[in-house]
Amino acid sequence: MAERTPERLVRLLGMVAYLDANPGQPVEQVAAHFGVSPEQVLRDVDTLWMSGTPGYWPDDLIDFDADSLESGVLRLTRTRGMSHALRLGTREAVALIAALRALQESVGPALDPVQREVLTSTLETLTTATGEAAATVDVQLAVGASPEVLAAATTAVSSRRRLHLRYVNASDEVSERDVDPWQVLTGDERSYLQAWCHSARGERLFRLDRILAAHVLDAPLEHEPAPARDLATFRPSEEHTPVEIDLDGTARWVAEQLPLDALEELSDGGFRVRLRVASPAWLRHLLLRLAPSVRAVQPTEAAVEAAAAARRALDAYDALG
Amino acid sequence: MITPARYRPLAWVLMSDALPPAERLLNLVIALVNTTGRMTKEQIRSSVAGYDRAASQDAFERMFERDKETLRDLGVPVVTVSSAAHGDDQGYRVDPDAYALPPMELSAAQLGVLSLAADFWQGQTLRADATRGLTKLRVVGTTPSETDAVAGLSPRLHPAGPALAPLLDAAHERQVVTFTYRTASTGEVRGRRVEPWRLIASRGGWYLVGFDRDRQAPRVFRLSRIEGTVRVVGEPGAFVVPPDADPMALLDVAQRGETRTAWLAVATDRAGALRSRAVLQEPDPDLPSAPPGMDLVAVPYTRASDLADEITGYTDAVRVLAPTTLRESVLRRLRVAADMGERLGVHGG
Repeated sequence: MAERTPERLVRLLGMVAYLDANPGQPVEQVAAHFGVSPEQVLRDVDTLWMSGTPGYWPDDLIDFDADSLESGVLRLTRTRGMSHALRLGTREAVALIAALRALQESVGPALDPVQREVLTSTLETLTTATGEAAATVDVQLAVGASPEVLAAATTAVSSRRRLHLRYVNASDEVSERDVDPWQVLTGDERSYLQAWCHSARGERLFRLDRILAAHVLDAPLEHEPAPARDLATFRPSEEHTPVEIDLDGTARWVAEQLPLDALEELSDGGFRVRLRVASPAWLRHLLLRLAPSVRAVQPTEAAVEAAAAARRALDAYDALG
Repeated sequence: MITPARYRPLAWVLMSDALPPAERLLNLVIALVNTTGRMTKEQIRSSVAGYDRAASQDAFERMFERDKETLRDLGVPVVTVSSAAHGDDQGYRVDPDAYALPPMELSAAQLGVLSLAADFWQGQTLRADATRGLTKLRVVGTTPSETDAVAGLSPRLHPAGPALAPLLDAAHERQVVTFTYRTASTGEVRGRRVEPWRLIASRGGWYLVGFDRDRQAPRVFRLSRIEGTVRVVGEPGAFVVPPDADPMALLDVAQRGETRTAWLAVATDRAGALRSRAVLQEPDPDLPSAPPGMDLVAVPYTRASDLADEITGYTDAVRVLAPTTLRESVLRRLRVAADMGERLGVHGG
């Protein structure tokens, strides 16, 4: 995989400053520190000791102690004035500070005092180091859970203990279940708890705002965390029912907000979406919401069923007077 | 097994070959840090490794301009030095004071939090910037272990799209931008000239809050409705954000109204998600009581249309008792939905 030029340059400069401050580091340690392979570190060393000031005579070049290098240890003998850590660029500072601030505001109150202190001190250090840079971006995370639920979830994740949940699903059914909590996935629209569910005997994503109550149990985790799931690319699995909906242009948000299998523009400004649906109740919700813009649905029964439910509700209002 | 290269290649051999860009830039930085005074373009061209002396003047100029931009983008302070003694010819150097990160140290736990912060931007245009920032901060940090202080928290954002990076730069530089924007309510598409104040990610969308120069008023723009390219017009420092401007409040107003309370009759054991947001509140005396088999529930809300959508989804399990406006919007939605059955049942069935 070809690395982009800015990334490589920043690491090359960073390695010189790091090794100047931390002499005699094993190659593996430097690799772990910068999150690259040991082979990449050695390629970087090869580059560094051919780089220096014009003339490029031996004394002009960055240099390493050859004996140490033979035994896999990096020790700089000449830095050519590059021993300072490079300051952050504007976007770099903005990206990191906005993320830290969003975390602090959303989950900060639910963290234990040690965790909170780490988050706060990191943010302070970075803000001091970069000044005004971060004033241009704000990120609001929508946790949507009660502080008690969020605190129970983060505590269970960090102490690796089982969690008992009272949960209401999209079909409006309340259930009690024990889960092995893996991660709290905090998003800008919704947040989730990723966990192994002992009732469902499988991995599940629980919307935090649908967890009615949670408490931490004594039992340890039985199932180890799977890799983090990327919500942006999350797609329902193949077994779900395929549905096709034709919409007019006013329902454009559907294309922006739902995970679609396919989107097809129609000639008159409308469009057709294909998506897979796990829960009939969820589809009914969606169709009720989209009703003014819906032109066609496959299967049609889904729309007929949603409409019948709406009719029943109207009758109930009439009865109420 | 790690086998370090045993022999150092002869550096001068490489002088005649084209170096990869990262290595050319590295040599340029080292040269500009170490120069006494300044280096002119000509000196750079003839002496810094990686610049091909055989290339045309034009090709060199283009490459050098690009390199300078790349370095400045990465935070390397390349400054222009003019000297009366050298006529109009400009020289360059790196300002050593502005180069360095202020003195700081980061613990393993703090670096752990920072990698979490960098992960935050997964799938985003800012991802590369955040990761590079993290690489720089690693220089002053201790290697984090697997047991990070905030392990298990994994923030994710909706993608902002290509407009974010140029808008961020423009907001930082206080430069006016132009772009083509599609209004949500009317679908009207037209060009805007905006002073970008702040970018905000909220409720699944990215927003620009700024001053619309054509309308002469602050406005909120959703990034996903910007079509095509964002262009910068004019010089940096072209405006000041008024000290009393409150971008968050402007976004709030654009997103929702004030908080109100909905009085709902909810069927027993149904609408758990709504119930979980309920508050204890004394009902007005003239509020109708809930029908038998249903509970009276008070739910605060800010966006009436969102709540109406949600309530409509519960159909006969939830009935709006007050306010009337909310009840009317739910009834309107239910009627349209009930008609949908006949509409599609006849044509599509």
